[in-house]
Amino acid sequence: MFVEIPAPVVVVPSRVARPALARRLLRGAPPYLYLLPALALLVIWTYRPLVQTAQLSFFSWNLLPTQPATPVGLDNYVRLFQLPAVGQSALRTLEVIGGLIPFTLLVPVLVGLLGQRVRGRARAVYQALVFAPLLVAPVASATVWEWLLEPSGGAVNRVLGTHVNWLHDITWAQPAIILVTGWHLIGFAVLVVSAGLSNINSDYTEAAMIDGASRGQITRWITLPLLSPTLVFLALMTALLSAQWTFPLIDTITQGGPSGATTNVYYLLWDYSFHTFDAGLGTAAGMVLFVVFGIVAAGLVLLSEKLSVHDD
Amino acid sequence: MVDFVPGASSRLRALPGHLALGALGVLCVFPIYWLYATSLRRPDQVLSLSPIPWPLSLGNYAEAIQLVDIPQLLINTTLVALLTALGQLLTGLLAAYAFAGWNFPLKRLCYLLFVGTWLVPFQVTMLPNYVLLLQLGLLNTLGGVVVPNLCSALGVILLRQHLDGFPKELLEAAKMDGRSSWRTLWTVVVPNLRAPLAALAILLFVTAWNEYFWPAMVLQRSNDVLQLGLRSFMISEGGQGTYWGPLMAVAGLACLPIFALYLVLRRHIVNAFVRSGLK
Repeated sequence: MFVEIPAPVVVVPSRVARPALARRLLRGAPPYLYLLPALALLVIWTYRPLVQTAQLSFFSWNLLPTQPATPVGLDNYVRLFQLPAVGQSALRTLEVIGGLIPFTLLVPVLVGLLGQRVRGRARAVYQALVFAPLLVAPVASATVWEWLLEPSGGAVNRVLGTHVNWLHDITWAQPAIILVTGWHLIGFAVLVVSAGLSNINSDYTEAAMIDGASRGQITRWITLPLLSPTLVFLALMTALLSAQWTFPLIDTITQGGPSGATTNVYYLLWDYSFHTFDAGLGTAAGMVLFVVFGIVAAGLVLLSEKLSVHDD
Repeated sequence: MVDFVPGASSRLRALPGHLALGALGVLCVFPIYWLYATSLRRPDQVLSLSPIPWPLSLGNYAEAIQLVDIPQLLINTTLVALLTALGQLLTGLLAAYAFAGWNFPLKRLCYLLFVGTWLVPFQVTMLPNYVLLLQLGLLNTLGGVVVPNLCSALGVILLRQHLDGFPKELLEAAKMDGRSSWRTLWTVVVPNLRAPLAALAILLFVTAWNEYFWPAMVLQRSNDVLQLGLRSFMISEGGQGTYWGPLMAVAGLACLPIFALYLVLRRHIVNAFVRSGLK
């Protein structure tokens, strides 16, 4: 019935074109003004330093304001890739990510599938319990785990009757860090999986059941594919955040030791920048990390688009 | 089919779920329980393995308060977390309002700038930020902890999702009334967005309270917030074995406000975290 007629822009005489332009600019301004505070903060504290990090990675500088930075070309990158510590820390980062997969994917999916039939008050109580570790401040969790895993008086050794120095032994330190990080994250992953499961339309399952599909078949061919976006999200989270999550633990408990056994790339970056004050090496490592991050994220997003069966 | 028989059999089928969730719940909570149990034992019984601390004693807390200036740390941390959360809420609300209320050139790019921050780990940008804080004279101040954290991409993204679902008719009606966009924001949008704003506020507060990296970098020598005070206490006294009681007391106090908040607002906190993804 009603036809939208475009606003009569043409009637504005050319004589007042300038003020009209100004007015149009003014009318277009509000969204930018609302965006300004947030965007300015992002530019100042994220994107400006990112560019500066890229620039600094081609300089040699010891962080002293009085010392000039000297250009060294690709030297920092060459040094970075020749340092054995870098390769080892990259490997350890992969170890952390791999070691966390059981905590953020396998167990949560298993528990989620098993727990599907638990409803009501019991479910709320379980949720409250598994979520609690996420609220513990990282330093507080470092403290309590250091106490639990203490060699002589700690509960774990005394119950097991062992005398292992879990957190300061070359073999055990890295698994212990992974375990504590996993403890932090597992409840969150369980909740995400159960939220994903409850979003799956039960019509599919019921239809398959009527067709005579077994429980295992339904899980394999219906539930898991429909859950795949959630799983990719959790994988992305594990890859991008978990190494970061270990940082407070490593910084307070092991300081990267013993003899580098828990130094992952994040801790190495911190070490280069604030312990050895090698700004060039620190920023070069930062740039490599940023690029690798971008590739990993892009890969997982592509994977999720390929894998996802959308429930339309 | 067995599945459609209600009652006892369906309860039996839920049993593996109860076992799995129950076992996981106990494993998740046990370290937290042990933290508070140790802190409440009598100082001479800190090594006890009895599951229930008895007789209860506040001795460890008394000792902790003498060793660490806990009230000051609590005030500082509350201040930092509150200002950070409020700042992030305000900048996030304004930005999300811009995205939801207007179509403008470069909208997609602006939004991508927010999403893109997920790819920039803190450690990548820390050096230039450290230098800027030094130049601004904010190093070793609480202001230096708050100012760089006044915008959270998460806040913008979450609020935009909520605002996109906001009935456009209400905005149009406010425009017809001749209200400015600024007044519309505060008189129409905010009152209708109370629940998500509250959930986000809690989430941001908890995150800021537990933050470690940034304060550790900014407050290198002073240990003015709880996480750092705890760390320095842990490093100076922890290795010597006799301080586990007071150490657990400080750690317990550092988590207590968040746990209290959690007990009161459990459902909202869980929803806010799960809906947002972590961070």
